[in-house]
This record gives sequence, structure tokens and C-alpha cells, in this order.
Amino acid sequence: MFRYQSLEDCPLDEDEDAFQTLGEEDEDIDQFNDDTFGAGAIDDDWQEAHERLAELEDKTVTVREQEDGVGSDEMDLLGHHEENLAERLSKLVIENELEDPAIMQAVQTQPPMQQPGGLNSSIWDGSAVLRRIRGPLLTQEMPSVSVLEYALSQRPPQAREDDRDLSERALPRRSSSPVIGSPPVRAVPIGTPPKQTAVPNFNQQILCPKPVHIRAPVQQRYPAPYGERMSPNQLCNVPNSSLLGHPFPPSVTPVLTHLQRAQLLGGAQAGRMSPSQFARVSGLVGNPLASMNPKLLQGRVGQMMSPASGFRAFFGAPPPPAPPPSQQQHPPCPGSHLQNLRPQPQMFRPDTTHLHPQHRRLLFQRQQQNRSQHRSLNGSTGDRAGHRSSHQEQLRKDPYANLMLQREKDWVSKIQMMQLQSTDPYLDDFYYQNYFQKLEKVAAAEEMHGDGPKKERTKLITPQVAKLEHAYKPVQFEGSLGKLTVSSVNNPRKMIDAVVTSRSEDDETKEKQVRDKRRQTLVTIEKTYSLLLDVEDYERRYLLSLEGERPALMEERKQKICDMYDNLRGKTPGQERLSDDHFVQIMCIRKGKRMVARILPFLSTEQAADILVATARNLPFLIKKDAQDEVLPCLLRPFSLVLYHLPSGTITSLLQQLANLPQSATVPVPANLHLAAVLQNKFGLSFLYLVLSRGEELQSSHAATELMQDNQWTELMFMATQELLRIPQAALAKPMSTPSNLLSLFSRYVDQQKLNVLETKLQLVQGIR
Amino acid sequence: MNYMPGTASLIQDIDKKHLVLLRDGRTLIGYLRSIDQFANLVLHQTVERIHVGKKYGDIPRGIFVVRGENVVLLGEIDLEKESDTPLQQVSIEEILEEQRVEQQVKQESEKLKVQALKERGLSIPRADTLDEY
Repeated sequence: MFRYQSLEDCPLDEDEDAFQTLGEEDEDIDQFNDDTFGAGAIDDDWQEAHERLAELEDKTVTVREQEDGVGSDEMDLLGHHEENLAERLSKLVIENELEDPAIMQAVQTQPPMQQPGGLNSSIWDGSAVLRRIRGPLLTQEMPSVSVLEYALSQRPPQAREDDRDLSERALPRRSSSPVIGSPPVRAVPIGTPPKQTAVPNFNQQILCPKPVHIRAPVQQRYPAPYGERMSPNQLCNVPNSSLLGHPFPPSVTPVLTHLQRAQLLGGAQAGRMSPSQFARVSGLVGNPLASMNPKLLQGRVGQMMSPASGFRAFFGAPPPPAPPPSQQQHPPCPGSHLQNLRPQPQMFRPDTTHLHPQHRRLLFQRQQQNRSQHRSLNGSTGDRAGHRSSHQEQLRKDPYANLMLQREKDWVSKIQMMQLQSTDPYLDDFYYQNYFQKLEKVAAAEEMHGDGPKKERTKLITPQVAKLEHAYKPVQFEGSLGKLTVSSVNNPRKMIDAVVTSRSEDDETKEKQVRDKRRQTLVTIEKTYSLLLDVEDYERRYLLSLEGERPALMEERKQKICDMYDNLRGKTPGQERLSDDHFVQIMCIRKGKRMVARILPFLSTEQAADILVATARNLPFLIKKDAQDEVLPCLLRPFSLVLYHLPSGTITSLLQQLANLPQSATVPVPANLHLAAVLQNKFGLSFLYLVLSRGEELQSSHAATELMQDNQWTELMFMATQELLRIPQAALAKPMSTPSNLLSLFSRYVDQQKLNVLETKLQLVQGIR
Repeated sequence: MNYMPGTASLIQDIDKKHLVLLRDGRTLIGYLRSIDQFANLVLHQTVERIHVGKKYGDIPRGIFVVRGENVVLLGEIDLEKESDTPLQQVSIEEILEEQRVEQQVKQESEKLKVQALKERGLSIPRADTLDEY
């Protein structure tokens, strides 16, 4: 721009010098250099260049495979630069084992590509073919390929760490962690289902110079005559040539769309190269046979064809059953090296290795069943009447049926099963487990009783995953200060440092104190409840544990029970228990009462008796507090169970507590308020009855028993009967149950007249009720 | 083929006619062609059915892809019982007109209600678009 033929031409004279220097500088810079604009920029013979590179690549790949080496200095076209960076990074990182899959995996190893399952033809070598297929696309769309290839190369190390991975990964195994930053938008997002070929028009791809036939996955395929077939080596060059020579519709991308390529890679990553994917490759490259004989294109490929040809094929042929019929290979012709040599006759399965073996088998069986069902249904001469065949017919008539392939259904199913993976099903899904256990028990019971045919109830077997402990080690870089704060799903970063400070204000108001006390009680209840749940669970754990562990378990259990009791009674270590206060506080809360009811069976007799006595002692207060909740009756059953084991002395003291008499009764009070309150409450009355009943039991069982000789008991009985007589019937509560031996009990202490009164009042005789 | 017994899975429902109720109140009827793990649905030959009183009208919509989170419920339609309904099918124009009238009536009554409450010094909290909160 600033070049003038001579400086004299320049109209501005003042800045002559400046311009001169500029001009000199400009002379040095050749702005229209060769590299940018000249011959060096034009890469006209890229195809040749590519071919050279491909050969080179081929050599390096074969060399690499031969030595099975971990050579990291490979002249790898694909992602060459990314690999360098990765290497550098990996050298920096101290921790080589990055266990967190969500964080970038800077560690890269260069293992040889794992053989895709089943294909053992040396020519048809996964890695080599992949690379070659990707070759022509290098120059066009490098980034997306490289990311995926990068991810792909990490599959083998991850496969080794398989058993660890599953507990951390929530994603289908096909995916792997995003590498550097996020993968480019064009790459297939992780978790997309296996995609079908997106190329709609096969008919247009006829213009391939030679019929190409890579493999014959379908039994009815008639491969091209041997001479015409091309080796896979040539195959890859075909697209190039076809691109050149043929007026491909611009919408059709060269060989594979990038999505399909990604798909291929994704599929390879999953552990095997899906044969159907190879089929797609072959189809895309141009299968004139396909166009000529649409019927051959069963499976995915055929379905995507235009309605004109494809659906007619579908109408004719039965809907293809489960997985691609690749398992039915009858290579009818020689030269089968080009065909899919699958050593195992099994059908292609989605990656189910992580599923429970039984589940896998079930899935497999079901698939087989389904296949046989389809076959038999289609084969029959329509002799089957009914809903089933009409349904099938409907499906057959429905041209849009089976748009979702069996494989895709399995894939969704697989994801749903993965979501059910659990290290501890009883923890994760307690109610489900319990419910099904109950169902099974019922079913087993039914089977035992009735000798009917055993119903095959299919059961869902959830995959079991071993629990693995992982300590998260943060990523550290060499030479850096401190740790890299990389937070991910598996180790969330602590954002706020919340410190609990306890208030120590002296002038707390009374209300606050009360509130705090209540809160304290609530906390105690919660803690004790956790202990209780643990103890209740011990039986199950015991069954699951090994012999050696059992004593330890028992010890733990005992300890927990002791802790529970201490919590209940408010006993802190080193403190003599003085008051019932703590216990009463717990009992004032609804949850506390229910918890006590549940704990009682686990306590020793002494401890349980203690609880009972404490309850009796404070019963009026508890009754008052229970007015709203009315939960006390829940205690009755465990109480009765405990009472059954109590000796007479304890019974007496219980009754004493209920009547609220001090040890030495002196002045008989006209009305015993304590007892009155007890009698007016459902629970109280029932409890009293139980105590009395137990006393009677003891009395009647031993001829000359202490109870009879015990003055206290007699006194208490008198007191009790007195109160019972005094109290108006309307005020009397309705007990939960009236023990039958009360009548005989009362008969010992009262005369006949009073006995009759008591009888009617308390409805002691069965008939009256 | 019994997929995952004891669970709720849509796989068995594929290629069957379904009625889908969406969160915005629309009712779609179509053949369920494809699903995924989020219960996103692909409905084929879908028809949007508008109900007003005893009448309903169908608007053909074609293919629907419904995001899973927007589905309230869906159920298979028994093809034999499908025609067995006391409801009367009307044309699209008519049903849209009916719907418009119904909306209008509702709005009027709503307005009156709000007015009455305002006079008494009360107010109904406005239901936001986030209806779950």
C-alpha cells in the first residue's frame, strides 16, 4: 500500500523520512509471499499426500502392533498435537492414577487397539481400518475426530480398571470422560443411543465403480463374485476415487458423516465393533447389491430406505427379530476372509458384562424366546386365533412399526438397569426389597399349601455391584504451589466453611431454655433411634456375615443396646442416675414413646423393669402430656411382654408406683388422685389391669407365695379396689383389654356385694360385654 | 418379552396408540414410536384433542417429540374401546370456538373473584409459571 514507484510521487512531503523508513521496512517484508499466496499454499495433490501418509501410518500401526509396545513417539497423524500436549501434561501430573473419571484424564497410554470382539481377520483389523477410514477425513474435520480418538485410546486402561469404574460411573460404558475442555459440539454427546445410518438414499449411491462387499452379515446375501470384490485396503481408497469421479450429491458426505464416524468410534469404544456398524460402513461405501435387492437389507439399513423400496421390503419380509441377524451366518462362498468371521455363534449383545450374570442370561433367553416367537408366528399358517396374532398382524400392517430397534430398546433397558445398580440394596431401596420379600414369602407359602402348578413369576434381578472405597486424591501438578482445585461430580468442592458455634449467653430467657431443652431431647431421640435401627438390622447382617465376624457383631449389638438405654435414662458416664427427668422428657414426645415401645424388647429384664417403673411413677404427667397425641397405648403391648417376666417384688413396686404411695403408707387419703388419673386414662387403666393380672397370676400359681404374705400387696389391692369402687362409671376409661383373671383377684379382697358392683362396673364378666 | 418385571418401563408400550397428557394441559394421542431413558417420547400421527364439555375436536399434528419432563401421564388406548365414548366429536373450528368461549367465561369469573377479594382486602397469590413450587 505504501509502495510507490518513487518517493517523488508521494504527495506529502513533510513526512518524507517516515515514509522512507516505512518503505524500507516494507521492502523487507514480502507481503505477498509464497506461502500465503503463492505456490506453497496450494495443496493440490492432497490425495497423493494422503496416500503417502496413510501408508506411513499403516507401517507404524503394524509395527506398533507387532511389538505390542507402548511407544509413545509414534508419528500419529490423528491428534498428533493433542497427544503431545497430553504427554507433557501427563509428565507434570504427580498422581498417575486419576480415579475420578469426571476430571480430565491427562494420563495417556498408547496401547494397541484392542481387537474388536470376534473379528479375527488380520486384514480386517479394527484399528487399521478405523484409521484408514478416518484418513481422508483428517484434513477436513480434525478436531472432533481427535477428541474421540483420544478418548478411544483410553479405553483399554479403563477396561482394566473395569471393576472400579462401574461404581463411579453413572454413564453407559461407551462414553468416557471429556478430555481437554469439553468435546467439540459436533462430537456425539455421551449417551446417545446407537444411531442408524442417516443416509436416506441408498439408491443414489449406486455409482461405485466396483461392487464392494466387505462382509455378509445376512444369510441371504449374495456376495459379489470373488474377482470383483475388493480388499479392505482398496476399499478405503474407493471413497476417494468415487469422490473424484462421481457426481455425488453434495448432501452425501464422502464416506461417513462425522456422526457416523463418531458412532463407529463410540461403538468401538464399547468394546466391540458392532457388526451392524460395519454393515453401515459397507453400505455407505456403495452397495449396489443393496440397491438392487432391497430385500437383502434387513435390519437397520433397510429400514431407513425410502418408503417406496424399503417398506415394500418390509411388507414382504417379517419384521426382523431381535439383534441383527448377524449370528446367522452361513458364508456360502469361499474367500470368506472378507466376511465377518465370528468365532462365537452367539448373537450380538449390547454390552451386558456389567450386569448380573443371571440377569444377562435372562435377557439373552428372553431375546431368544422372542426370536423364536416371531419365527413361529410368522411361520404359522395363521392358524392361531385370537388377540395375539391380530396384534402381530397389526404390527405387520403398520408400516412404521419397529422404528425403534430391538437394540435400542435393549439399550434403554440397559440404562434403566444400570440405574438400579446398588452396592447396598437394603440401604438404597429398602421398601422395594421388603415388599418383594413379602411377596415371595406369600408365594412360597401358597405353593406349600396348594399343590398347584408352580407359577413362573419373573423376578427382576438387579445387578449387584461390589462396594469400593475410593479416597479422593486431588490432582497435583509438579512445581505448582498448592493443590489444583478441580471439583467434579464425584468430589464436590467445599464452597462455604460453616463452623458451628454454640451459644453461651448467660441471659437466656426461660423460653429459650425450654426450647433448647426440647431440642436437646429431640436430638437424643434421633440418636437413639439410629441406634435402634442399627440394632434391629443386626439379625440380617448376622446372616450375611462370615463366621469370624459374628462375635464382633454381637459385641457391637450389645454395646449399642447399652448406649440406647443410657440415652433413654439420661445417664452420662460417671453420673449417678438421679431423676426421671430425662426419660420423662423423652416420653412427652410422640416419637419418643414409639421409640421406647420398640426398644423395650431389646433391653434386659432389669432395664425394662426400670423403664416400666419410671413410667408408672410419672404416669399422670405423661397422661396429661399425651392428651393430644394419644400414643401411650402403643406401649401396652411391649409392657405386657415385660410384665410377664417380672417377679412379684417388682410387680408390687409397680402397683405402688401406679398408686403413688410412698414406701410406708401412713395416712389413707380419701381420694387417690394419682390413681384416679390413671383410671381415667385408657392406657393407665389397661396398664393397671395388666399389673393386677400379673399379680393374680403369680398368686394363683404358687400356693404360698410372697405376694400373699406381703402386706404391701394387700394394702395396695385394697387401695386399688377402693378407688375402683369410688370412681363413677362415666369417668372410667375403656381399657384396651380386660384380663380374665381379675375377677378371681378381686374376689380375694372384697366381699361378695362389692364384688358384684365391681363386676358390673368393670364389665369383668364376658357375658355383660 | 417381559422387560424388567416389577418396574415401570415404556418399552412394552412402543408402537401402540397412547394418550399423553402434558403439563401445559394439552392432550395428545399418537403412536408411541420411540423412547429414551428420560422418557422423552416420539409420537407418530399425533392428534391434539381438545375437550370442551361433552364435545371434543381433533387437530392432526403429525410427529411430536415430547420432552420427558413435560409429561404428566400417559396411557395406552384400547383400540376396541376407543370408539366407545359418550363424547361427541365436532369439527376443529367448532371446538376451538367452544374453547375460546370457555376460556372467556373462566377469565370473567376469575376477574370477579379477584375483585371481590380485593374489596375485602385479601389477595390470591399469583400462580407462577413454575407450577411445582
